[in-house]
Amino acid sequence: MGFLEKQFEENVLTTRVDWLLNWCRLSSIWPMTFGLACCAIEMMAVGCAHHDIDRFGAGAFRASPRQADLMIIAGTVNFKMAERIKRLYDQMPGPKYAIAMGACATGGGPYYKYGYTVVKGVDRVIPVDVYIAGCPPRPEALLEGLMKLQEKIQGSSIIRKPARTA
Amino acid sequence: MDFRGIYDRLRAMKAPGMTGCDEPREKNPEDKKDKGRFGDPYVLVEPALLPAFLDAVRMDAHLAFEMCIDLTASDPSTDDENLWVIVQLLSLTHKHRLSIKCLLPKANPVMPTSVPVHRTCQWHERECAEMYGITFEGHPDPRNILLPDDWVGSPLRKDYEFPEEYHGISCK
Repeated sequence: MGFLEKQFEENVLTTRVDWLLNWCRLSSIWPMTFGLACCAIEMMAVGCAHHDIDRFGAGAFRASPRQADLMIIAGTVNFKMAERIKRLYDQMPGPKYAIAMGACATGGGPYYKYGYTVVKGVDRVIPVDVYIAGCPPRPEALLEGLMKLQEKIQGSSIIRKPARTA
Repeated sequence: MDFRGIYDRLRAMKAPGMTGCDEPREKNPEDKKDKGRFGDPYVLVEPALLPAFLDAVRMDAHLAFEMCIDLTASDPSTDDENLWVIVQLLSLTHKHRLSIKCLLPKANPVMPTSVPVHRTCQWHERECAEMYGITFEGHPDPRNILLPDDWVGSPLRKDYEFPEEYHGISCK
């Protein structure tokens, strides 16, 4: 860290506040248990031993929005659910993130034309950080999406203008 | 019993409300517009007398249709002035099945509920009611089962138009 380095005694590390806070945040993104359709099966597979989302610190699926940082919208969103999603998202403490997983959550998917109760994309209800393509996406794709979100968090700052206002 | 046997028995017992049957047939080679008729044979029943019909075929010892597999509806086309209400019955005693079709006018889709005969019909009728706008008179719990309570329109009707927005969420 530039001129501060080797100014102190041993066992003292210097870093930037932003970097440290971002590192804390991105290393423990606790997702909310929020499976709506078949994408939830892939999300469960990601949570299990073979793919193991815990490697990225995001394995603690919380059953309450008050303890969660990330909402993975895994599945088809209909109008009846959309209002609940909005309410749950509002209940999450900031900084909070949302991933739209799969074709349905991204843009209505196969229900785009004739799905009379399907919301054509969850971004009409809540702000979305990362969209994951696939129907349903492979577990690797969800992990890739999580890493993209981590990259995004890495770029945020508490002093400078934040990357996205929640 | 096969369909012929069941139909003969229904005629012999003078089942209430039965107006005839709708059987599969070959295409007429001389009429080019004729597509023939595929699928299962149906018994046509007057909608107003469907509960009485279901009760009669349930109590009859030769037929004994104890179980209602399904009660559903269909909107065949925009030109058709009728909705179809389709009922599938199964006899566990005799191991035979029966399909019933009721032609219900779209202008006034009202029919009595079948819940007193088969309690299974409760949810099925609720679904038909919200999807096709059919009113089942005397239904014990006529709420929506799948759609939101304040939903407007019957989505599975052929002439259904999508709403512009629902509670501020745009639908198109």
